[in-house]
Amino acid sequence: MKILGISAHYHDAAAALLVDGLPVAAVQEERLSRRKNDAAFPMAAIEWCLDEGNLDPDELDAVVFYERPMLKFDRILTCALRAFPHSWRSFPQAMKNTLGEKLWVRGIISSQLGVPRRKVLFCEHHHSHAAAAFLTAPVRDAAILTADGVGEWAAMTVGRASRAPGKTSINLLREIRFPHSLGMLYSTFTAYLGFTVNEGEYKVMGLASYGRPTMVDAVRKVVQRTADGAFQLDLAYFDFHTTAKRSFSAKFIDLFGPPRDPLDPIDLTSPEGQRFADCAASVQRVLEDILVETAKALHLETGLPDLCLGGGVALNGVANHRLLQESGFERIFVPPAPGDAGCALGAALYADRIHFGNPDRNFPDHPFWGPAVEAGTLTSLAQEDRLPAEELHDSLLIPRVALDLAEGRIVGWMDGALELGPRALGHRSILAAPHTVQMRDRLNRDIKHREEFRPFAPVVPLEDADRYFELPPGGKRLAKFMSGVFPVRPEWREKLAAITHVDGTARVQILEPDMAPRLYALLKTYGLLSGIPILLNTSFNLAGEPIVNRSVEGYLTFRRCGIDVLVAGQTRVTKRMQEKAA
Amino acid sequence: MFLLLHRWIWRDPERCARKLFSFAETEADGGRDLVRAAELTQDPTLRRLFMVHAADEDRHAQLFRTRGSQLLRARPGRASPPLELNWVSPGERGLDDLHVHTETDAGLLAFLHLSEKAAAGHFATYVQALKGDPPTSQVFKEVLKDETFHMNYTLAQLIRVAPNGHGVILWQARLGRLWKAYLRLMSGIAGIMGAVMLTIQYFILLPPFAFLAKRAARREAPGWRQIPQDRASNMTSQF
Repeated sequence: MKILGISAHYHDAAAALLVDGLPVAAVQEERLSRRKNDAAFPMAAIEWCLDEGNLDPDELDAVVFYERPMLKFDRILTCALRAFPHSWRSFPQAMKNTLGEKLWVRGIISSQLGVPRRKVLFCEHHHSHAAAAFLTAPVRDAAILTADGVGEWAAMTVGRASRAPGKTSINLLREIRFPHSLGMLYSTFTAYLGFTVNEGEYKVMGLASYGRPTMVDAVRKVVQRTADGAFQLDLAYFDFHTTAKRSFSAKFIDLFGPPRDPLDPIDLTSPEGQRFADCAASVQRVLEDILVETAKALHLETGLPDLCLGGGVALNGVANHRLLQESGFERIFVPPAPGDAGCALGAALYADRIHFGNPDRNFPDHPFWGPAVEAGTLTSLAQEDRLPAEELHDSLLIPRVALDLAEGRIVGWMDGALELGPRALGHRSILAAPHTVQMRDRLNRDIKHREEFRPFAPVVPLEDADRYFELPPGGKRLAKFMSGVFPVRPEWREKLAAITHVDGTARVQILEPDMAPRLYALLKTYGLLSGIPILLNTSFNLAGEPIVNRSVEGYLTFRRCGIDVLVAGQTRVTKRMQEKAA
Repeated sequence: MFLLLHRWIWRDPERCARKLFSFAETEADGGRDLVRAAELTQDPTLRRLFMVHAADEDRHAQLFRTRGSQLLRARPGRASPPLELNWVSPGERGLDDLHVHTETDAGLLAFLHLSEKAAAGHFATYVQALKGDPPTSQVFKEVLKDETFHMNYTLAQLIRVAPNGHGVILWQARLGRLWKAYLRLMSGIAGIMGAVMLTIQYFILLPPFAFLAKRAARREAPGWRQIPQDRASNMTSQF
C-alpha cells in the first residue's frame, strides 16, 4: 500500500510517504520552503515525497491527515463559549483563522492532490504522536505517554501498544484535556520569560540550569495535582484559553513578578536575571515531577519495561533523563521527530498498521528520510567564487576533516539524506572541537548568534560514551536521537568545556556505526588525533533559519558565517585566508 | 506636515527603540529573502550581488538592534509599549510581500529596485525627522548609503538580464506593488468587517450556548478521562 501522511496548519508542517509499510521519504516543509517553522499546507514536501517514491497522487491508497479538524474546531468553539464574555476579542480571530482554511482539510487535500475524497483519512493528534513514537521504535510491547500543548482536545494521553503477530494495536487509555496542558504551562512560562512560544522552549530548559527551583511552590499553585494522579491548571493564572494575545494573566504576574521584555537581554549576574533563571528552574522541576509521577503510575499499571514517549514535551531532554532514572521503565524511546512534524509519519503508520491492518514491518532505526546531498553542486558553486574545492575519497577526506577539527576549524558537514525532526543528527551538522569555552563562544558569536546560556551538544561513538558521560541503564538508547541530557563525567568536564553545560550536563548524541558511518569514522579519526573521540555537533543553520537541505543552502550559509570548512558528500571547500581574516 | 508627523512619531525614545527593533527584524527577513534568491538563481553574478546585499541587510539589522538596545537601556523607567505606527513609518520592505521562489530574476530585481527606492525615500525622511537624536539619525544615514548602492545595482542588473524588456518589467513591478497594496487594503477592510460581524454574532447568538458550555464545564470532573476504545477506529471521520 502507498500511504501519504500530512501534518500542517499549526507548526512544523511535514509530509511522509509509506510504501508497503516502510518509509520512503519524509520531510518538513520548512526545509524546502526555507521559512522556519513553516506551517503552511506542505505542498512542496508532498511533491518531493511523491517524486522520491516515483508516484502520482492517484496511485496513493490513502492520504492521512494527522488530526481531526472538526474535533479541533469543536474545542476552539467550546473554549470560546466557556470563556464568554472574556473571549470576545479572540473569538473573531479564532473563527476567521479556523474557518478560512483549517477546517476544510479534506477538500484541500482532495483538490490539491487530485485524490478522491474517500481516500482522505484522519488520525487523532495524539494517536499520531503515539504511532510516531511506538511504530518507529524497535520494541514489541510498550507503554505510551504523549504530551504536548494540545491536539484536538487531548493534551496528554497514556496507553499501551503491542505488535502481536498479525495484529498491531495502540490503545490510548486515558487523556487530560485542554486547557489543562503541560505544553501550555511550559509555553506560558516561555512567553513570560520573553521567548517565542513554540520556538523558545529550549531556551527555558537551558536557562533553568542557571537557576534554583525557588519558586516551585508558586508554580504548584498554578498547576495542581488532582486526586486521580493527573493535574489541572488554575485558569485564573492563564489567558491562553481566552485570548491569543497573551498566555499569562495579571494574577500570574502578581505571583511571579513582571515578565521579561523580549527586547531586554538576560543578565544572569543581576537579581532580575537570576529571578528569571529561578523561574525557569522551577517550572522545569514541576514539569519533571508531573511527568515522572505519571510515568511511575503507568509503569505500575502496565508492568512493561519500555516506554514510548511522544509529543513536543518529549523534546525536554532533562525531563527524559529523570523519567529514565525514576519512573521504573528500563528503556525510553523518543523518536527523532516527537513533535508535530513526526505526526505526518505517525499518521501514515497508524493507518497502515491499524486501520488497514497491514503486517508489522521492522522500521529502519534512523531519522534520515529527507532529500540527499547532490553530487557536484558544491564544486561548481565554489568555482564561481574561486574558492579551493577538492573532491576526495573518504580515505583521504575523513583524515583531512579530522585534522581541520583538531586544528580548531569549524566544519559544516552535509552527508546523505536530511534528518526528519528538529535535531541535526549527523547529516546536516556544524562540527567543532569540543574542548574549550573559546570554541563555544566563537560558535555563538560568529555562527549561531545565540544566548550565552544555551549549551551545545556533543556526539560520541557508542562504545566510547560511558567513558565520558554518566549514562544510566537505557541511557544509550535515549541518547541515540539526542533525547536525553546526561552528566559529563567530572574528570572530563574541563576537557569538554564547549559542550558541558553550567550544571555539568550535556545533551549527548550517541552514534552507532551503521546510523551515520562517515560521521562515525570522522569521530574515530578525530579521537586518534586529539585523544577524545567527541565532537561538538550543532544544527547546520543560522539564527532564524531552518536547517540547510541542499548543497547550495549549505554553501551560502558557509559563506555568510564563521564556518571555516564545508564538506558536502565527497567535496571539501575552504575559505581563503583573507576572507577568514575579514 | 509629513516631517512634523515623523518628528512626533520618533520623539518618544521607547517607541523609537521598538521601531528600530522592528526595522531590524524586517532587515533580517529581507536578508533571508536575498539569501533565498541567491540560492535559487542560476546566475553567478546575481548570486554574488544578492549575497552582498544580504550581508548589508544583516549589518543594517545589527545597526538598528544596537541603537534600539542603547535607547532602551537609556530610558528612565519602564512604560507599557507605545503604539508603533508602522503603517505611517514603514521599514525597508515592511509593507511589501516578497515571494522569492515565484519570481524570475528580472521580476525580483525590479521589485528590489522599487522597494529600495521607496525605502531610501522613507529613510531620508527619518534622517530629517531625527535631527534631535544624532546617533539614531546617523544609523539611518549609514543605511541610506547602502540603499543607493542597492538601487543602482538592481537597476543595472535588471538592464543586463532583460536588455529589451526592463522598462516593461519595472512597470509590471510597479503595478504589482499597487495591486498588492490594493489587496492588502481590501483584505484589511474585509478583516475588519468580518471581525465586526463575528463580534455582533458573539454577543447576540452565543450567550445561551455559552451558558450551556459553562454548565457542562462545571460538571466536568478534573483529571484523567477515559478514552473510548472505538473512538480512534473510524479514520474517515473528521470528528
